[in-house]
Amino acid sequence: MLSNRVKELRARYGFTQSELGKQVDVTRQTIAFIEKGEFSPSITLALKLAKVLKVEVGDLFWLEEE
Amino acid sequence: MKQDFRMTYPLWNMAFILILAVMAVGFTSSFVNVTKTDSSLSIQAQALEGFLLFAALIAYLVLITIYLIALSSYNRKNPDKKISPFSMRPPEYMEQDEGMTFITRKAVQKVYTFITWTLPFFALIVMLFPIPRLFIVWGILAVAFGQNLIYYLEMRRQLKGATE
Repeated sequence: MLSNRVKELRARYGFTQSELGKQVDVTRQTIAFIEKGEFSPSITLALKLAKVLKVEVGDLFWLEEE
Repeated sequence: MKQDFRMTYPLWNMAFILILAVMAVGFTSSFVNVTKTDSSLSIQAQALEGFLLFAALIAYLVLITIYLIALSSYNRKNPDKKISPFSMRPPEYMEQDEGMTFITRKAVQKVYTFITWTLPFFALIVMLFPIPRLFIVWGILAVAFGQNLIYYLEMRRQLKGATE
C-alpha cells in the first residue's frame, strides 16, 4: 500500500488542497484522493508534489507492508 | 464541483428517459395508428394514450429547452471546458486530471458490470416469455436509467469522500 505525507507537509506550508492542486495542475479532489491513500499518483505528479513540498519523492511517498 | 454540469448530466439523462417511458405508452399502444406517406405522417390515438403522448411530447420539449438554456449558461461561465450537446462521447466523463480520470473509470466499470449482466438477462426474458412491446421498451429504458443512476451515485460517493 502506498502511504504519503502530503497532508502533513501541505499543512506545514499552510496550503489548502485547492492551492496545492493549482501548483501541480490538478483538482482539489485529486489532492484529497492522494491524501486519503485512495489513489496512487503518476510519477510525474509525485515529482511535482515533491518539488512543491520541498522533499524527495521517497520521503513523500513510500510503500507500506500490507 | 457541484456546479459542474458534467456532474449532474446523468440526472438530465434520467429525466429524459422517464419522459420517453411515458411517451412509449402512447407510441406502443395498440390504440395508436401511425400512417406514413411520402409527404406526411399522421398519428391517430385513443384518448388516454393520445393524452400521454401529447403530454410527454410537451414535457420533452420543455425539458430540452431548459436543458439547452442550462447548458449554454454553463458553457458561457466555463469557456475552457465547454460541453457540446452533439458530442458522441458522453459529456459526464470527468477527466480533467488523473485523479478525476481514476474515479470516472471506477464509475464506468460499475456501469459496465451492470450492463454486462442486465442486457443478456433481459434478452433471455424477452425470448422466453411473450412480453408486450411496451414492456420491452420500458425494460430497455430501465437499463438506460439504471446505468445513469449507477454512474451518478458512484461519482457522487467518490466526490463526497474528497472533502477537505
